[in-house]
Amino acid sequence: MKNTGLELRNLTVHYGHKRVVNDVSLALAPGQTLGLAGESGSGKSTVAMSVLRLLPKSARVDGEILLDGDDVRAMSWGRLRAVRWASASIVFQGAMHSLNPVRRVGDQIAEPMRLHNTPGSVTELLSQVELPEDKARAYPHELSGGQRQRVMIAMALACGPRLVIADEPTTALDVVVQAQVLGLVKRLVAEQDLGLLMISHDLSVLAETCDDLAVMHRGELVERGGTREVIANPRHPHTAALAAAFPVIGDPNHRLAGPGESTRGAFVLQERTEGPRVPSAAEPLLQVRDLRVDYGRTRAVDGVDLTIGHGEIVALVGQSGSGKTTLARTIMGLRNPSSGRVIFDGREVPRKGRALKAFRRQVQLVLQDPASALNPRHKVIDAVAEGLRVHGLPGDEESLVTAAVERAELRPASEYLQSLPHELSGGQQQRVVIAGALVLQPRLLVADEPVASLDASVRGEIVALLLRLRRELGLASLIITHDLGLAWQIADRVAVMHQGKIVEQGSVEQVLLDPTHDYTRALVRAVPQV
Amino acid sequence: MNGFNADGFNADGFNAARLLEHKAGVAGAAILAVAALVAVVAPLLIPADALDVTRVTDPPWQAPGAGHWLGTDHTGRSIALLMVQGAGTSLFVGLTAAVLAVAIGALVGVVSGHFGGLLAGALLRVTDFFLVLPALVLAIALSTVLPRGLSTIVLAIGLTSWPSTARVVRAQTLTIEARPFVERARALGGGHGHVIARHVMPSVVPLVLVNATLAVASAIVAESTLAFLGLGDPTRISWGALLHQAQLHGAVPQRAWWFLLPPGAAIVVVVLAFTLVGRALEAVVTPKR
Repeated sequence: MKNTGLELRNLTVHYGHKRVVNDVSLALAPGQTLGLAGESGSGKSTVAMSVLRLLPKSARVDGEILLDGDDVRAMSWGRLRAVRWASASIVFQGAMHSLNPVRRVGDQIAEPMRLHNTPGSVTELLSQVELPEDKARAYPHELSGGQRQRVMIAMALACGPRLVIADEPTTALDVVVQAQVLGLVKRLVAEQDLGLLMISHDLSVLAETCDDLAVMHRGELVERGGTREVIANPRHPHTAALAAAFPVIGDPNHRLAGPGESTRGAFVLQERTEGPRVPSAAEPLLQVRDLRVDYGRTRAVDGVDLTIGHGEIVALVGQSGSGKTTLARTIMGLRNPSSGRVIFDGREVPRKGRALKAFRRQVQLVLQDPASALNPRHKVIDAVAEGLRVHGLPGDEESLVTAAVERAELRPASEYLQSLPHELSGGQQQRVVIAGALVLQPRLLVADEPVASLDASVRGEIVALLLRLRRELGLASLIITHDLGLAWQIADRVAVMHQGKIVEQGSVEQVLLDPTHDYTRALVRAVPQV
Repeated sequence: MNGFNADGFNADGFNAARLLEHKAGVAGAAILAVAALVAVVAPLLIPADALDVTRVTDPPWQAPGAGHWLGTDHTGRSIALLMVQGAGTSLFVGLTAAVLAVAIGALVGVVSGHFGGLLAGALLRVTDFFLVLPALVLAIALSTVLPRGLSTIVLAIGLTSWPSTARVVRAQTLTIEARPFVERARALGGGHGHVIARHVMPSVVPLVLVNATLAVASAIVAESTLAFLGLGDPTRISWGALLHQAQLHGAVPQRAWWFLLPPGAAIVVVVLAFTLVGRALEAVVTPKR
């Protein structure tokens, strides 16, 4: 068998009349690493799936897909089965859903070897992906996200393929775990001289692992070249937009919250709770004092002190499971603390009744996934007006809604008011959620990963919107994120949360450029650099 | 963006046009329309004398023929007229009992799904209790203890057939409650009433509709069973009561098949029609994926 790697010639894929991949030609020599970047809907996953003919029957594939010189499109069923996994294998996106929950992972890793009658041992594969061998007896739910992704990689390597296709392998993972998985992939590719086709929307992830980079936009290949070169000197505007969306920490150009802006109306309070507090002329907007929250016996939030000034943007960063979401929910009064106090505008946050309802007008929530944060049956006007109706606010509902929607930069509002959420794009949906919060004229916005589920180009717009709202309305924000780049772009101050405690807080420059706590250093180090 | 119907429904809500694509459902609806029309209109046209045992003049146990399409019963009354008269009772009991059962079920389901905690625990135990109890035996016991009458039958059937609805509605409520838009509504300041009325109910109602249609079918069977066992309202004619009469007065030894077959067939056809409509509604309301 010739070993010429993968070559796509004039690949075009249609679903019905819709062309999702248009005339893509790519070559990947054995041992070469290529990153395929693009937003959702750009056709990058379709390209990857076409390599092993895994597209649904409704797809019409034209052009040539040469795998080691053979056209995959023309292969017989038996030949295709032999080629799948033995010549090329896939690390699927979302290890949670790609593993069978009722079978031990060892059996699942052994499955392709059994099907192809290839010799090999599960133990050896597990050690290659740096997992202890007794994990072979574990079920998927007993493993962490990073461990599951390692199992997926072990599975992909089971039959000794020459080419590995990785479809967003680290998207659902934390920065720290992501760095570990990427390091693993890099090492395996180098050691075993594998070809790697890595798909991601995140250029920094691709820059970390791939020598070459190809960028797709609306089904077309718009740019191809050496990774560093493409990122440093993008020729296509879309590549530039993708590169700009992933900020470089430490680069002042990527800092959207300018230094002049951050002091306007904002308080940079460094002092802790110890000692008698000198009452300042203007109280900070929100003070959290020694807050503890328990889930049964687990302490999710453990003695947190946090202050947010008027018009200040504070980023709360940390890994998943660090308690940052619980802290935010408690601040909003959606969960009762076990002990400690939350003081908003000089008064303790009420725990129930009318007072709590009134408090919720002041603090609004923006959730991670706008698609699920909107009721699919409610039109935009109903979704935005929901807060007005709940609080029975006087005034002309339609004009208030229109004003809020336009503030969230959906213009003209009349075009959107009668739409249902599924008719809007992800960015537009997030704007609707923000409009629904703005209509109540809140003073603090709590945003839980506000851009994590959005495409690169939209992400920048939402970040700019949050900053503009602060500038124009003096709206303070607490941004919860695992993305240090976002914190660098937008925040005035950063608080780092680890195992329920805030281990470090201070100005963005201070925390991200000169971290003092070990955990913060680990976090900063783990961020893939372009 | 494709997650919009993950809660089991089309985003546009109920879509009547799609119902027409289900031919069996349309046929079922047509049968029900005819049955309803007969039940409402016919009693107004039938002379009172024709159904009064003391005034009929025709001979008993007459086979179907030109005079009486479906023959006569043991007192000489026309079976065809009795059938038409009985349709109203059967349909009325079936519908009201089903509405009662589904109303109780929906209430218990939404309340236990939304509030959780001790209340939900208590409600679920009650639901389980009714679920494991043989419904027919309980209904028989209830209709023996309570005074005879139409409302007793409705009550007996309604009180015994709500648990399955409660379970389904509770499950749907729980899936809706877990969605982020409910959390958003809470953060906006919405209380229990708001969440239930604006978010939970709209997605529970289509499900309840389907359940109600299927519940009518089983309620009609239950009514017929109770009446056949002689536990019905003795002053009213229903299809089950006709079967009871036929059995009581020896239709079998008389070989009077025309007394037994029409009520039995009518029950089967109407129950089938309700089931067809219910299945079609179900298919429209739940996505295929």
